[in-house]
Amino acid sequence: MEKMIPHESGIAHVTGEAVYIDDILVNEQLLVGRVIYSPHAHARIISFDLSDAKKVKGVHAVLCHKDIPGHNQMGPVIKDEPVLAENEITFVGQAMFLIAAETEDQCREAEKLISVEYEPLDAILDIETAIAKNNLLGPPRKMERGDAEAALKSAKHIILGELRTGAQEHWYLETQACLSIPGEGNEINVFSSTQHPSETQTLVAEVLGINRNEVVVEVRRMGGGFGGKETQGNHVACWSALLCNATKRPVKIKLFRDDDMIMTGKRHRYLTKYEVGFNDDGNIDALKLEFNSDGGAATDLSFAIMERTMLHADNSYYIPNMSVTALVWKTNLPSNTAFRGFGGPQGMAAMETVIDRVARYLHKDPTEIRLKNFYGTETRNVTHYGQKVENNRLNLIYDKLIESSEYEKRRKEVDEFNSKNEFYKKGLALTPVKFGISFTTTFLNQAGALVNVYTDGTILVNHGGTEMGQGLNTKIQQIAAAEFGVSIEKVKVNATNTSKVPNTSATAASSGSDMNGMAVKNAIDTIKERITKELSTIWSAQYSINPSLQNSILFKDGFIFDSDHPDRRISFADAMLQMNLRQVSLNSTGFYKTPDIGWDKIKGQGKPFFYYSFGMGVSEVLVDVLTGQHTLLRTDIVQDVGDSINPGIDIGQVEGGFIQGVGWCTTEEIKWDAKGNLMTHSPDTYKIPTVQDIPKDFRVQLLEGVPNPIGTIRRSKAVGEPPFMLSLSVWLAIKDAISSVANHEIEPEFSLPATNEVILLAIPKLKPSRFQRP
Amino acid sequence: MNSKISFILDGKITYIDFNPANGLTPTTTVLNYLRKFPNHKGVKEGCAEGDCGACTVALGEPARHRSGGVENDRIRYKAVDSCLIFLPMLHGKQLITIENLKSADGKLHPVQQSMVEEYGSQCGFCTPGIVMAMFELYKEHPNPSRAQIDDAITGNLCRCTGYRPIVDAASHACTHNGVDHFNTDEPRIIEMLKSIPSESILIKTKNQQYFRPATMEEVLLLKQKYPDAIVLGGATDVALRVTKGHELLTELIDISGIADLKIVNETHSELAIGAGVVMNEVRKSVEKNFPALHQMLNVFASNQIRNVATLGGNLGTASPIGDALPVLMAYGSKVELQSVNGKREVSLNDYFTGYRKTLRKPDELIASIILPKQPNGVIVKSYKVSKRKDLDISTLSAGFSLDLDKGVVKSIILAYGGMAVTTKRASITENFLIGKLWERETVEEAMQMIDKDFTPISDVRGSAEFRMAAARNLLIKFWQETNTK
Repeated sequence: MEKMIPHESGIAHVTGEAVYIDDILVNEQLLVGRVIYSPHAHARIISFDLSDAKKVKGVHAVLCHKDIPGHNQMGPVIKDEPVLAENEITFVGQAMFLIAAETEDQCREAEKLISVEYEPLDAILDIETAIAKNNLLGPPRKMERGDAEAALKSAKHIILGELRTGAQEHWYLETQACLSIPGEGNEINVFSSTQHPSETQTLVAEVLGINRNEVVVEVRRMGGGFGGKETQGNHVACWSALLCNATKRPVKIKLFRDDDMIMTGKRHRYLTKYEVGFNDDGNIDALKLEFNSDGGAATDLSFAIMERTMLHADNSYYIPNMSVTALVWKTNLPSNTAFRGFGGPQGMAAMETVIDRVARYLHKDPTEIRLKNFYGTETRNVTHYGQKVENNRLNLIYDKLIESSEYEKRRKEVDEFNSKNEFYKKGLALTPVKFGISFTTTFLNQAGALVNVYTDGTILVNHGGTEMGQGLNTKIQQIAAAEFGVSIEKVKVNATNTSKVPNTSATAASSGSDMNGMAVKNAIDTIKERITKELSTIWSAQYSINPSLQNSILFKDGFIFDSDHPDRRISFADAMLQMNLRQVSLNSTGFYKTPDIGWDKIKGQGKPFFYYSFGMGVSEVLVDVLTGQHTLLRTDIVQDVGDSINPGIDIGQVEGGFIQGVGWCTTEEIKWDAKGNLMTHSPDTYKIPTVQDIPKDFRVQLLEGVPNPIGTIRRSKAVGEPPFMLSLSVWLAIKDAISSVANHEIEPEFSLPATNEVILLAIPKLKPSRFQRP
Repeated sequence: MNSKISFILDGKITYIDFNPANGLTPTTTVLNYLRKFPNHKGVKEGCAEGDCGACTVALGEPARHRSGGVENDRIRYKAVDSCLIFLPMLHGKQLITIENLKSADGKLHPVQQSMVEEYGSQCGFCTPGIVMAMFELYKEHPNPSRAQIDDAITGNLCRCTGYRPIVDAASHACTHNGVDHFNTDEPRIIEMLKSIPSESILIKTKNQQYFRPATMEEVLLLKQKYPDAIVLGGATDVALRVTKGHELLTELIDISGIADLKIVNETHSELAIGAGVVMNEVRKSVEKNFPALHQMLNVFASNQIRNVATLGGNLGTASPIGDALPVLMAYGSKVELQSVNGKREVSLNDYFTGYRKTLRKPDELIASIILPKQPNGVIVKSYKVSKRKDLDISTLSAGFSLDLDKGVVKSIILAYGGMAVTTKRASITENFLIGKLWERETVEEAMQMIDKDFTPISDVRGSAEFRMAAARNLLIKFWQETNTK
């Protein structure tokens, strides 16, 4: 198959011709929608008056919760998120009213004329307060193997501590956006920037009180998603659909950047408590973890996210006695949501902290502790939730990376540099990732496709996945071309549309290509079956002495031929015309469900994952001890993607995911004020990485020659999320540098993100030196 | 005075007359203007504040000599954030958008081609802006170094790629000595630009007056008549009041058309930088004699911002942080103020009187900033502490100057930004140091004096504790960098 083909939309991207929601050409009837949101973190709504706002020239609708024809609910799993607030508001940024007007200025004018009387109530704005008030979002969960309590008691050494990991804003370049266009009767066409068109369709139908067959949701592409549009795309879609329904005109809502940042949920911040028991060699025998996440004001996906945290709390390490407790707390902040890694990063940050601390305690290099505790291949290969770690590539990757990154040599150089420099310190760290692939909610592991072949030999592929930049449609195009044996140009991947492929899962959990690729292949297999059957009939009739066997008919290089009799061949396009003349159907649906998985959520035991993805990174940083600023000098990554379908796309996922993680680990700091207002509500104060923040020397390689032994599409592996967590190597390299100030004798105060402030304020506590006051 | 503006778009002269029917006002941004056209939707809004670069377009104008004169045979292309440019600022310029980059035969521009081949786009939303930023690089910096590439792209946020393929695309594309189809068209465009008179413009709408004077005489008279009018050079700060604050700005004086304010004048003793000189030009002018200012400008905002933002504007907003201000203070700079009544010079030391307050009288205009050349032996350094190294406003910044006599501090300036309501010198610490040996023990003592000079606030950019710790540490850093022993 052709592997190094460019992004399917590459040319459209670079010419500005790629169409996003805000670029769709609509007639002059288009109205602009605006969402009016709560200014309080927690308050009772005593009264409101919309009458003056409705009088503003150009305003066509001002809606409140009473104007919702269907259900006032948009919670994806638990119905605890009103579309528009009723009597109570529970976070700053909660939608209360909707306005549709001919211009944005008219919307803003109307907004000023809305009066609301509130009774402010006490707000819970952090995990600690939620814990103190026992304000849980749902029941706690526990996963256990062995007896951690007993093992801790008998352990030679014990370390306990706490770790805080911060929230993260998705900062997709295209803010949440939706355009709704009314059709006949109840029909509505919804053009949405959503990772989950089927759920968007469901919620729009429920909110409007109409049937799902009256709602069509279409997604050409998103300007980035990263999990931020897995459920939250639904919200904007519901709001725009309500305004469209009320005005019977097209209505577009595109959130202004600051509003998007204020209104939408983020990666969950966590407060994690740990207690680890280990011996002199650094073998970890017992680990007790308690994860506390800030769920925000509603459930959203918080429990699934927490589940993935629990399932990744081991990262790559075999821990005989392990106990993981998880609590999701309810606060008066926007409901936190999916974000690349989906709880995995928070779990791994805790585990890697534990390893780092054990190493410092024992005066050993953390890499040695990591290697010692890796999952084994024959023994020590079962996770705390009972899944066997099969096809373990940790040692393979480790050996490769230690060598290619010259780890040992650089470790010495770093130590030497630190012994000679007082004001600059270097740090080096290696961290692994073992990431489970599959939705842990097992039924979600399904995908559909609809493949149409036309009589000119061109192919139109529909599938349930959505393109958000990750290259899914490129891979689908490659898969379809390879299966039909035609060139890429013959295959077009359609916009995702709920009327073509229904009842799909979100494009999430790194599963887009795995599942939709298989569904597409399945549809193609059906079509090919019909074609080969017909061709074998034709050719067998022509050559009756030596008939063509159906199984010998192959698709290659734009031709279909009998591999037993290569002279029997027909071009793909000619064949399609023939098929049509002979009344053979040239389209088919396809379906796929991930086999061989099963997970008992209640017991916390089973095989939630089809397989694991492995990767490792080594990062080196330079920290300016006097300002707390750091430079990322070099990162080496080896990532296992099985047999890559498109190395260009996959490397893009590795690098992009890694850098996004670097942001989470270093400069991306979210701050709320004492009243629950987001202080970091624009890129002026919220700092994602720029080109200057990437490693000065950045070496990424895909592990080669290791196809996925289990039956994934073209023996590939998922790649979207795992590399994100390799950024923990940067975070721990910074910690290594800080720690060197005290010659690694004292455990530094450290949290995530490691901003310049965190770094600078950690140093005086390590070394009450002459130049910094204790 | 003319009431309409003229500029080149899609190879043709475009006129805008701001009549109520077209819905355009003098504070309509170029981004919002372009997005009204079905064929100019490539330009994207990512943040509406110049922090993401998704709206990047290029402006072409005849290249300018440092003395202010115009080179008539070449167009200088600059990437700018279209979300921060008001329409009248386009007058007399060529506006180039992503849709203009393909050649007439449909062939991709080398930077576009390279971006496709290197997997430089994923979601594609930032891509038009990145391509336009790279277009300036292509035209102005053939065979760029990694530092030049980074500098060109810093103003463009990409959340998908991790930038590496974008850097590679730039490096591979910019190898044709800047040659592309724009060269072929350049003589025609230059003629067209020449045909647009650089006259004064007054745009009056129902509730706005926008003046774009062409001469110093005019602007001073306007300043006298409309002392409360907002003066804008590059509008990178003022535009936020429109794009983020949704304010209606009623009186504006745009000084970007005044050639006299764009002059850099160097004598044996000083460098006078016109208030309308853009930061990128300032950066070039100060490279040799004022390296500490140069260093600060290297991490000042982004290339797009520096292409339009002016030094006069940086002073005019009187921000308590104002990245460039402490180092200007360390150089002993002066501000030249001018009104119809004449000129006067004020030391920058005295210029700031309170939070966003200065000595400038309402009818006065900042005419230039004068930097005295430093005597031999005087060392000046600048420091910026920010959460992110680039394209970030300082948590604190500093400009220090030191003159030693046989190891003893003869004079010292310790100017800090972000530590008080104005850029402020640590005068107690300075006085403590004068006459003392410049050695570590003294400096460590001096670090404790900083507490007496400042009581910074905690805000979104950092806590007071952090600011104090960093402010103290910068002294030891300065000592370390000046310690020749």
